Amino acid sequence: MHPAGDLEELMARYQGGDLAAATSLIHRLSPQLHRFFLARYASRHEADDLLQETWLRIHEARRTYRPGEPVLPWLYAIARHTAVDHFRRASRLAMREVSAEDLDRVAPPEDSTRTPDLETLLAPLPESQREVVAMLKVSGMSLEEVARATSSSVGSVKQKAHRAYEKLRAVLKGTGVERRRAGGLP
Amino acid sequence: MSDRDIDAMLNRAAEKAPTVDPALLDRIAGSVGASIRPVRPLPAAWILATGLAAICAAIATLGAARAGLHGIEKLTAIERAVIFPTLGVLLWLAALVSAREMLPAQRRWGNPRVLLAVAIVALEAAFALLFHDYRATRFVARGTVCLAVGLLHAIPAAVAGWLWLRRGFAVEPVAAGLATGAIAGLAGVTMLELHCPNLEALHVLLWHVAVVPISAAAGALWARWRQASRTTAGS
Repeated sequence: MHPAGDLEELMARYQGGDLAAATSLIHRLSPQLHRFFLARYASRHEADDLLQETWLRIHEARRTYRPGEPVLPWLYAIARHTAVDHFRRASRLAMREVSAEDLDRVAPPEDSTRTPDLETLLAPLPESQREVVAMLKVSGMSLEEVARATSSSVGSVKQKAHRAYEKLRAVLKGTGVERRRAGGLP
Repeated sequence: MSDRDIDAMLNRAAEKAPTVDPALLDRIAGSVGASIRPVRPLPAAWILATGLAAICAAIATLGAARAGLHGIEKLTAIERAVIFPTLGVLLWLAALVSAREMLPAQRRWGNPRVLLAVAIVALEAAFALLFHDYRATRFVARGTVCLAVGLLHAIPAAVAGWLWLRRGFAVEPVAAGLATGAIAGLAGVTMLELHCPNLEALHVLLWHVAVVPISAAAGALWARWRQASRTTAGS
C-alpha cells in the first residue's frame, strides 16, 4: 500500500512533465496492477502485455486525472478498460467461469499447510466478483474507490463482494481448507 | 468459516505477490519518458458540461435563426415557459453525463441510458401537457421533414461535442457515444421547437422527440464501430 497523498503528489508531478515522478509511479504501482491482471485469468505473458498497454493508455489519458482526486480508482478504471479491450480482442471476454466442480484447483495440491495463491482462490468466482475482490485485496482500495473504478455504485460493489465471500465459503468448505483451519493449520 | 477468516486468507494470498520483471518496468518507463511533456489537467466536469451545453444551444439557435424562428413565434408564453427551460435543463444534464463519461473514475452520477429515458419521458410529458390539437395533417410527409431537419442539426452538435471532449478518455466508449448522441439529439429538438410552426400534438410527440433516441443510438453505434475497428487494428 502507498500513502494516498504521496501518489497524488507524484501524479501531479507526472502531469507537470516530471520523468522521475512517472518512473516512481511505474515502479510502485506496477506490481499491484500486474497482480490485478493475473487475478483476471491473464497468463503471466498476457499480464506483462496488459501492464505495458495500461501504462501507455495512462500516459495518453494523464490529463484526465484531476489533481486532489484519489489516484488508484482513476488508474484502475483505465486498467480495467485495457483488460476488457484485451479480452475482447482475444475473444475471451465471455471466458470460462470456473464451475464449483473445479474446486480441486482451490485445494493446495502438495503442501496442505500452504495458503492457496490469490489467483487460485479467486478462480471459482465470476469475472465481476473476481474483479471487485482483486481490487479490494490487491490495491487496498475502499468500497467507494472500487465503485469509482468500476463505474458502479457502492451498493453494487458491496453486493458483489458479499456474493464472492459466500461462494468462497462454499468452495472452501468443500475443499477441506476449513477442516484444516479447525485443526489448527493456517 | 466467517467473513473474517476468508478475509485473512485473501490478505495472506494477496501478500504473496509475484515479482514483475525489472526489465519490463524499465522498458515501460523508457516508453513513457520518450514522450513525456507537461499537460494541463482537464477542467472539472461541470465546466466541460457548461461549455458543451452552450455549444449545442448555439448550434440549435443559429440553425433555427437561419431557417426562421416560426415555432417560437407561434408558441404562447406558457408554452415557451415550459418547453425551453425543460430543454435547457435536459441539455445541461446530458452535457454533464457526457463530460463525466470522458473523465475516468468519476463518482457514479447519472447513467447515459437512464438519461436517455428521462429525456424522452420529460419531453413527451411536457408536449402532451401543452398540445391538444390531435389532427394529423400530412402526418408522415411533414413529420419526416422535421425528423430530417432535427437530425441534420444533431450531426454538427455531435461533431462539435466530440471535438470539445476529445481530450478526455472514455472507459466505456459506447455509453459515452450514447450520451453525446443524446445531447446532440436534444440540440436537434431545440432547433425544431424554435423553428417548426406545426403544433399538432402527434407531430411533436412522435417526429420531434424521435430525434433524441435516433441520435443517441447513432452515437452509440458509432462508438461501438470505432471501438471494434480499434480492436481489430490492435490485434
